[in-house]
Amino acid sequence: MSELQKKWAKARLSNSMQAHAYTPTQAMGTTAIPVPGTALPPPVSLPEFNELDEEDEDQFGSLSSIPNHPQDDDSSSASSVSSTGTVIPSPGRALFARPQGFPNRSLDPIPWTTYFERELFLPSSDGSITYHVYLTSPAPPASSGTTSSPAPGTTTKPSTGGPLFVTHHGAGSSALSFAVLGAEIRKRLPSAGILSLDARGHGLTTLSTPSEPIDLSLPTLSQDLCNAILLTAKAMSWPEIPPLILVGHSLGGAVVTELAYQPLLPPSASLLGYAVLDVVEGSALDALQSMQTYLSTRPQGFNTLKEGIEWHVRSRTIRNSVSARVSVPALLVDTTATTTTTTVTTVTTTTTVTTVTEQPPSPQPKTSKPWRWRTDLSSTQPFWQGWFVGLSKKFLGQGAKGPGRGAGKMLLLAGTDRLDTELTIGQMQGKYALQVFPEAGHFVHEDLPEKTAVALVDFYRRNDRSALVLPPKVSELLAQGRRV
Amino acid sequence: MSDLDRAIAQLRACRPIPENEVRELCHKARELLIEEGNVVTVNAPVTICGDIHGQFHDLMELFRVGGDPPDTNYLFMGDFVDRGFYSLESFLLLLCLKVRYPDRMTLIRGNHESRQITTVYGFYDECLRKYGSANVWRYCCDVFDYLALGAIVLGASNTLSQPEGSQPGGQDVEIEVCNADQQIISRFLRKGSNGGGSAGGSQAGGSPEGTGRGEGSPNGAGEGRPTTNGFGEGDGPPAPSNTGPPGSGASGASGGSLGNPAGAVLCVHGGLSPLIDNVDKIRLLDRKQEVPHEGAMCDLLWSDPDEIDGWGLSPRGAGFLFGADIVKVFNHRNDLSLIARAHQLVMEGFKEMFDASIVTVWSAPNYCYRCGNVAALLELSEDDSGLGVLARSNGDVNRSDGGMGGQGPRGVLMENDLLGYNRAGPARRYRVFQAAPQDSRGMPAKKPVADYFL
Repeated sequence: MSELQKKWAKARLSNSMQAHAYTPTQAMGTTAIPVPGTALPPPVSLPEFNELDEEDEDQFGSLSSIPNHPQDDDSSSASSVSSTGTVIPSPGRALFARPQGFPNRSLDPIPWTTYFERELFLPSSDGSITYHVYLTSPAPPASSGTTSSPAPGTTTKPSTGGPLFVTHHGAGSSALSFAVLGAEIRKRLPSAGILSLDARGHGLTTLSTPSEPIDLSLPTLSQDLCNAILLTAKAMSWPEIPPLILVGHSLGGAVVTELAYQPLLPPSASLLGYAVLDVVEGSALDALQSMQTYLSTRPQGFNTLKEGIEWHVRSRTIRNSVSARVSVPALLVDTTATTTTTTVTTVTTTTTVTTVTEQPPSPQPKTSKPWRWRTDLSSTQPFWQGWFVGLSKKFLGQGAKGPGRGAGKMLLLAGTDRLDTELTIGQMQGKYALQVFPEAGHFVHEDLPEKTAVALVDFYRRNDRSALVLPPKVSELLAQGRRV
Repeated sequence: MSDLDRAIAQLRACRPIPENEVRELCHKARELLIEEGNVVTVNAPVTICGDIHGQFHDLMELFRVGGDPPDTNYLFMGDFVDRGFYSLESFLLLLCLKVRYPDRMTLIRGNHESRQITTVYGFYDECLRKYGSANVWRYCCDVFDYLALGAIVLGASNTLSQPEGSQPGGQDVEIEVCNADQQIISRFLRKGSNGGGSAGGSQAGGSPEGTGRGEGSPNGAGEGRPTTNGFGEGDGPPAPSNTGPPGSGASGASGGSLGNPAGAVLCVHGGLSPLIDNVDKIRLLDRKQEVPHEGAMCDLLWSDPDEIDGWGLSPRGAGFLFGADIVKVFNHRNDLSLIARAHQLVMEGFKEMFDASIVTVWSAPNYCYRCGNVAALLELSEDDSGLGVLARSNGDVNRSDGGMGGQGPRGVLMENDLLGYNRAGPARRYRVFQAAPQDSRGMPAKKPVADYFL
């Protein structure tokens, strides 16, 4: 970083510091956040972006965006050391430091309606499960002048249109984990759609036989994801499935890889690529040993939703308070409530309480901490190995029977030390794109929604099959009098 | 003993030099590199090396196997830093050697010689750890911007030099693979060499020594191959294919067309770019900058050859994939017999592709201390017979006139002597070596993966 850049960054920061004073009040009602039914804000005109330069640009990007997205970056370097030994030469590293606590910051929940166009409850054909998804429809290019979401069935023409980013969260998380990321993707690629699924046993997806132990095996989950895509297309009366980009975090990464690897999707569906966020077979299997220990250190419950959000932010499980405010409410369920307090989950909380009965792992007194984890992660232990064994091979697409063989592959990690031998070799042979965000924690896409969105949009652009346009030759550029 | 020699000795012992010396060294190096063109001309004999990635002890092993500088003329094709634990010592040693022996050491830029990449993959952290500040990293990055983008090797012989105990018949050897103890593992004779200069295509496809490149080739129609050299179009009887070890030319697919057999060797870290149709275009680039995210300079450092037709999308997210046709046309147009590049991990240390028109050389054994691969370096001998590759000023006048103007060696070769020689470029000796025994000093303990969730 040059001296000049430093100065610039400092000047920039002093500006944003002033702005920051107003942040808490602004944050909720900020106009930048799209509201359903209204047109999305016009796309931020970004300079042509390549994933390689985001390291630098986003350092500044995050600076300039402080007012809208307070990033809890106070100990980013320390945290990255814990996971990677990597320290980022960020001009803002020390400048981000705040004393402690989050005095002025609102930790109120943010409703999902801020980020998604609609939610859908999709019963499976055999009625055994009702998938719950959040959806923002991809826009067909014809209607790109008006970015308002097209009503179902009114798609102007059966062209491929914008891509659909299909996201699958990790174990114990929920579809709202991708809420902020989805909005960031649409800022950069307004034609994109986002489809985020609550996996079975998570969020608001409900099983008809809630008492039975939930089958969370990899084949089941990937079939679920496939079903959800097809059911959504049907419910929305899409003439055809939009071009797909699969995005999976942690367990979700294994699920999307499986979906790409196996011939589950109909041949008509076009899979452009799949992106896996912060999971690698080798290091995931290593981490499993300490997982129960980690789980036992989590609080069993919280007095209020706000307390739950605060815990996620304070423990740096989620290092971006905006992300935490929208995603954490879906992780918790009020075990005492008959009347719900939060606006968003009002309708559904009561039903989920009845359906997901196996959750309170042990009959504990409900009085002290009414807000409990919606998903009992410890009980999913029998499935853990199966999620990750063979992941690296499948990710590389070796012997894939599904559409993943020809699709683009991206791995987005919070640290290079997460790579196992197989993916280290694969990376150095140029088999996939690797992105590393050492300043992020495990929830990469929640910690750094903007950078992740930039990487994903660029990943889509590169893999968009509609055109491989070769750049003009140097001689042609010279003929045009351009600099090479 | 000069300061420089002292610094070299200290770095050879794997001890970093003080910050002020680094600054001075980088300053000198920059003055030196700024004078070099984007494409450096190097005369054979030369030993070509691929990625090092901060594996200092393996670099020492490389020097043991390949000979000590300045006795051996070295060309390193980039990626000196990142991933290994001694990026700093490795790069500074190479830089010291460059400054001390500018004509015996050539360094070209790899995709890891970049600010953005080094902040993520280790070099930045290492500098911070070893000096407590990023200054040294900054000095080094400034040097990166001045590294050449490629090199042209001239005067490489069609026959291997035989240092001691040379056997007769060595002239027919096109590829020789040696281990770290100078023992020959395998040899591949030139195709047609047993024919003793017989003309026509029948011998061209024969490969008695298992070079296995003689299969009838659909692309033998020869977009690139000079047709005046008396050989047929590779329509000889199919040879036993894949008879050699993987990584040798033996696994090449067909006897297709090649560039000029007596041409130069282009060395570049990654590969070709769709923007670059001849070597001179590389010379026009403005290289003194951070590696861009797209464009010709980026492609040269990021692209990979692949079994495809034409150009393709690189899964890496930068650069392109390019197929055999691209390489052959490029080699022909530029009078190249071979492109040497690095950039991709090859488990066998080296890999020739597309009828030996391009080779990947990888010089980081047991990459990342765990990948289990061997490494290789490529030796091209000096031509002293007057029959091999002749020095030509690539890009200058008369270069592409078929050698008819002035010296006219190429025409002479074609008419008289070439029949007994190759059509597959200079003779190549690969030395394959294993990882050096690693001492654990300075190796950061592997941190437990703590904050990993499901």
